[in-house]
Amino acid sequence: MNLRLIIGMVAAKLAMYLSKLSGRGRGSSLPGMVALRICPDLLKHYQGQPRKGVIMTTGTNGKTTTSNMLADILEQDGYRVVTNREGANLITGVATAFIKASTLTARLNCDYAVLEVDEAAFPVVTRWIKPSRVMVTNFFRDQLDRYGELDTTVGKVLDALNKLPGEVKLILNADDPLVARLARETGKVTIYYGVRPDADFSNTAAFSREAKFCPFCGSALVYNIYIYGQLGDFKCPQCGFARMRPDIEAVDVISDEAGTKATIYDNSSSGRSVWSLYIPVQGIYNIYNGLAAFTTALSLGILPEKAVLCLTTYTPATGRMESFRYGNKQVTLTLVKNPTGFNQALTVLLAQKGRQDIMIAINDNDADGRDISWLWDVDFEVLAQYPEQFNRFICSGQRAEEMALRLKYAGVPTILLATEKDYRRAINAALQGEGVAVGMMATYTALWPVEKILGQKAERVSYHANRMSSVS
Amino acid sequence: MLTVCHLYPDLLNLYGDRGNVLAFMRRCSWRGLPVQVREVNLGGAVEFAEYDFLFIGGGSDREQALMAEDLKNRVDALRMAVDNGLVVLAICGGYQLLGRYYRTSQGREIPGLGLLDFYTEAGDKRLIGNVVLEAELAGKKTKLVGFENHGGKTFINGHKPLGSVLYGHGNNGQDGREGARYKNVFCSYLHGPLLPRNPILTDYLITLALERKGYPSKLNALDDELENIANQAMVDRLLG
Ligand SMILES: [Zn+2]
Repeated sequence: MNLRLIIGMVAAKLAMYLSKLSGRGRGSSLPGMVALRICPDLLKHYQGQPRKGVIMTTGTNGKTTTSNMLADILEQDGYRVVTNREGANLITGVATAFIKASTLTARLNCDYAVLEVDEAAFPVVTRWIKPSRVMVTNFFRDQLDRYGELDTTVGKVLDALNKLPGEVKLILNADDPLVARLARETGKVTIYYGVRPDADFSNTAAFSREAKFCPFCGSALVYNIYIYGQLGDFKCPQCGFARMRPDIEAVDVISDEAGTKATIYDNSSSGRSVWSLYIPVQGIYNIYNGLAAFTTALSLGILPEKAVLCLTTYTPATGRMESFRYGNKQVTLTLVKNPTGFNQALTVLLAQKGRQDIMIAINDNDADGRDISWLWDVDFEVLAQYPEQFNRFICSGQRAEEMALRLKYAGVPTILLATEKDYRRAINAALQGEGVAVGMMATYTALWPVEKILGQKAERVSYHANRMSSVS
Repeated sequence: MLTVCHLYPDLLNLYGDRGNVLAFMRRCSWRGLPVQVREVNLGGAVEFAEYDFLFIGGGSDREQALMAEDLKNRVDALRMAVDNGLVVLAICGGYQLLGRYYRTSQGREIPGLGLLDFYTEAGDKRLIGNVVLEAELAGKKTKLVGFENHGGKTFINGHKPLGSVLYGHGNNGQDGREGARYKNVFCSYLHGPLLPRNPILTDYLITLALERKGYPSKLNALDDELENIANQAMVDRLLG
């Protein structure tokens, strides 16, 4: 009997109970923090317990969505799943997920653990918990002051992958050279997913592309087509490193207010299986999230028809393109944390019909990234090209003024700009604007308060009702 | 017509550095001053003598090395332009590059361009956080704000700093100075980006560029309410 473990577990369960009682905080990482302080090797006790294995998702954007999608699929198929659903993806969040699901002696009763793990925390978490599958979404610059440079981040994930047992399978984004390189560098069995590079994606946003050089020989990568960010049909003219034809590939991707549709091909099977996929969230990046979850589910033996069906009822987590209704207006709330993600959110705004009121809340706490200069790498200039689409921009959060300044220099007329540091007043102003729709974006620590206030004022839209994709 | 050279925008697009070029351009065009920008990438032809303002940002280690290699071939032309009063803003990695060398933690010296007489050595911890400086521009004291994030510690010898540190670490966390100045060259570790957040500095650079061309350099006032509020908010937050 391990006394430290028991004391740690008791303290953690107590912390969980107290935070529930007080209603403060979401308790998604505090219990883990308490337990780890008392019992630093806590996670060791969970290793090997999930009967069918541990599936981790790491990368910069889309971790929460991808991981939640896979957990949904597995749960709907009748498996017991332990998961950290709310984006608490540091070691403390992973520990909390296990503690919540286990007894005081750290016994679990589950088939799978589906864990979203922050890139910087990945080496630490995998020291204790060995995954059987690792999904990697993409690598973009994120919160630089915390992690140092992108090369370092990718290098750390690579090192950690190399330390995993040989039988681990990687599920990799074939379109991101920074992710695809991991297959060759680790030598692990890899299943690729990707979007077929059709000419339709000619993305004009040329800024904030991360991978300009071949990771193997340093030559400039050549692209036939960009999908978004540095994702696309890339090739190194020097050494031949190039986009692999993915095993699971999406074609004919269409994204509009109702959600995102695509046809999916299984290139690896001899019979060429085809499914049509519908995900009730906007943005092409959500097709990548869905593809990763789908691909992983298939590799775990889930029937593709079941996985597709489950994804049609996917409910986004807080701020992952959540939808609300306020009177006749559609209101969307999006978490923004780096240039690529923000550019994607802007693309979605521009696809909306009718004039919109926009509310952007920027904080600079540790969890948001204290350096907000990345806002200058976001292509806000595209907004200034369509002034008729926007009624007003209300900037909120700790760095409201800087956000307004960024929009001013992007060319947005100052008459459209307002700063309102108080969330409630900012939200009210946006909801009551003259636009026919409202777009809200917030950084991590601004998201919860905004979501809470919005949830009181507006009705959450559920897409669950009769929106089934045709299964072929 | 003022001509701006943005060096290696393809390579060095970290930390919103392109906001510096954007601020310079916008503040010219809001005043009706004709201005154009030319982006120069690796190996591209560049005549430094043709430019009025040169911006160099920073990048990751690998990009930094590529930039140093490329600039080495152009250093004589650059030195001549600088001696002729070319207005230069060099941020972070671009700043370090203009000095004599960067000494790694293993004691290896990576030579810089040696345009300015300063050096940088690897520190044991990164200097990160918000910064307020007091700078003197055109004889007037002003507060500059920004965000620093650098592993190297820079010692500027006889050069004037850009400003003295009121909050933050500055060049090395020791001597209370931030950045370096030499002729019309301005170096700083501050991201922010620096120019949009500090319109007084931007306008000073524009003034210097105009003076060098022999144009009347008295700039029209702009509506800087937003800039001033943002600048003041950070000063108040850090200095209380
Ligand atoms: Zn190569």
